[in-house]
Amino acid sequence: MKTINNPIFHFFLAALTVVCLPLFLRSGVLASEILIFGLAVAACNLLLGFTGLLSFGQGIFFGVGSYVAGILLTRYQIPVPLMLLLSVVLGALIAVAVGWLSIRRQGVYFVMLTLAFSQFFFFLAYSFSGLTGGDNGILDVPRPVIAGFDFTNLWSYYWFVAVIFLAVFALMLRTTQSTFGRTLSAIRENEARASAVGFPVRAFKIAAFAISGAVTALAGALHAMLIGVAPLSSIEYHTSEIILIMTIIGGSGNLFASLLGAGTYMLLADVLSTIWPRWLLLLGVALIVVALFMQRGLWGLIETLVSHITATSKRTPNAATERPLHRQADGGKA
Amino acid sequence: MSIHNEALKRSGHSSGKHAPAPHPVALETSELTVAYGSFLAVRGVSLSVRRNSIHSIIGPNGAGKTTLFHALTGRVRPSAGSIRLDDKDISHTRDDDRVRLGIARSFQVTSLFPNLSVQENLRLASQGRTPWQALAPWRSINHNKEAMATAGEVMERLSLTQVAGRAAGELSHGQQRRLEVGMALAARPRVILMDEPTSGMGVDDIEAMKELIRSLAADHTVIFVEHNMGIVMNISDTVTVMRAGQKLVEGTPAEIRDDPEVRRAYLGNMITGDIA
Ligand SMILES: Nc1ncnc2c1ncn2[C@@H]1O[C@H](COP(=O)(O)OP(=O)(O)O)[C@@H](O)[C@H]1O
Ligand SMILES: [Mg+2]
Repeated sequence: MKTINNPIFHFFLAALTVVCLPLFLRSGVLASEILIFGLAVAACNLLLGFTGLLSFGQGIFFGVGSYVAGILLTRYQIPVPLMLLLSVVLGALIAVAVGWLSIRRQGVYFVMLTLAFSQFFFFLAYSFSGLTGGDNGILDVPRPVIAGFDFTNLWSYYWFVAVIFLAVFALMLRTTQSTFGRTLSAIRENEARASAVGFPVRAFKIAAFAISGAVTALAGALHAMLIGVAPLSSIEYHTSEIILIMTIIGGSGNLFASLLGAGTYMLLADVLSTIWPRWLLLLGVALIVVALFMQRGLWGLIETLVSHITATSKRTPNAATERPLHRQADGGKA
Repeated sequence: MSIHNEALKRSGHSSGKHAPAPHPVALETSELTVAYGSFLAVRGVSLSVRRNSIHSIIGPNGAGKTTLFHALTGRVRPSAGSIRLDDKDISHTRDDDRVRLGIARSFQVTSLFPNLSVQENLRLASQGRTPWQALAPWRSINHNKEAMATAGEVMERLSLTQVAGRAAGELSHGQQRRLEVGMALAARPRVILMDEPTSGMGVDDIEAMKELIRSLAADHTVIFVEHNMGIVMNISDTVTVMRAGQKLVEGTPAEIRDDPEVRRAYLGNMITGDIA
């Protein structure tokens, strides 16, 4: 299991996905959306899988990023890199505020608070229609032209997204491997002990929120440029829900699982929606199956398969003694 | 009374190490009271724990020993009274901040990071002294060499090196109990609190734990809750007996053993340990 749960291997898988999507998909929108939601889902996973925080507020950050792109690009002609930077900063700031208030409560009450914030920000966006365009959203959000490179074509925009995706994905992998990431895991495993051992748990949770909000807002901004609109639906509760569902489908143990979850959801939605307009029903069934039979998500399924395969191929007389030795050898890296 | 001589030697030794003569009392409580709702689990307990002494707390189940530890380490807020560490009021200091001030503990009910390795459990426990460093998402876990070294030393000291890479949740009960104590050691505290460190341990482990606690007193103030009277009577400098949230009596092991009220509280024959 150590071999397939190695961060460098996960980065390789992500890079492979980036290269393969254009080969197998005809729609540049779908391919770009997979990467964009891959980011948002990885950010959600940082909270759910690594810190143990089930946040229904991810749509807030996604919507904020989307509006930052819409407003700054259509009304102020701010250069795209600066706009992306501002969306990241604003996403982080709002996530700090939402996180700071929500983590005051635990468990169900925490979840309820994030849900309440999600509703609050939706009505805020809906009410301030002068700024957000209300129901119509902000139209004609342009794709970038940076230093003579034109990314307005769909597939060239895909590569623009791909580079950002890989850079951010690498940074997030690094984050999960850092002392910070390990401390988040410790908080997820045993919050009381993490605190007793000396960690200011709240500060760590807020920092996790900040990173999650920053990355999700970045995804929102990229999405607005992709579809050319900053719609009201981006900040709707439904966006939070989709991001969470993708996170759970993929599995919450590692970040590549998030890309897997986003990809699977988007592809299923794409295929099913052409077959049957009531496809969301089937998605509901798929989710029930995941919740009942594959609680570790698709990645958990892959892990199980790989361990079956390696177990059968390694069935040697001294297999029993091999295991503890193997563990011991891992000690230094763990 | 060789224990007393040892204690004297120890305190003499330590006052030479710390530059300005340190406050002779490491930890002190005054009229400490803890309420769970309307129930007072700890009622007006005043303790004075001498620096680098071994101070044990005994008493029947439900006496409030664990709750007293919760209050000393900041897990629960006292409803009245105060706590002073090195003559500084820490009654309102958060639990994680108290670690930085030099208090660490082990729990009666084992409380580990079950899916993380033994080594990682201890590294985290050591990192907890400088937690803000760990907030930097770009720092690798090997960055803090001191924490890595401490984790290694503690594993050596508690014979856990062979299982360094194992998930804490997979260890045997005895190993988990040792790791539980190790978590407190890894914080390199000045005052260490251990809540029933030998509970559920086998005979060999108990003997090793007794020696460990004894050796800790060379450079720690040790407060521990223990049901094994052999250990309590053997290695304590001071024993406090609690009952129903209150301090019943306090004294040297010999005094406690002969105290009629303690004998009554313990139904006569529970205190059997020898005094070395
Ligand atoms: N979280 C809690 N809420 C309410 N009552 C508690 C709680 N923890 C302990 N108690 C009660 O406080 C009393 C003291 O418990 P405790 O400190 O665990 O005693 P000891 O460690 O001496 O066995 C007991 O009567 C126990 O039932
Ligand atoms: Mg207890």
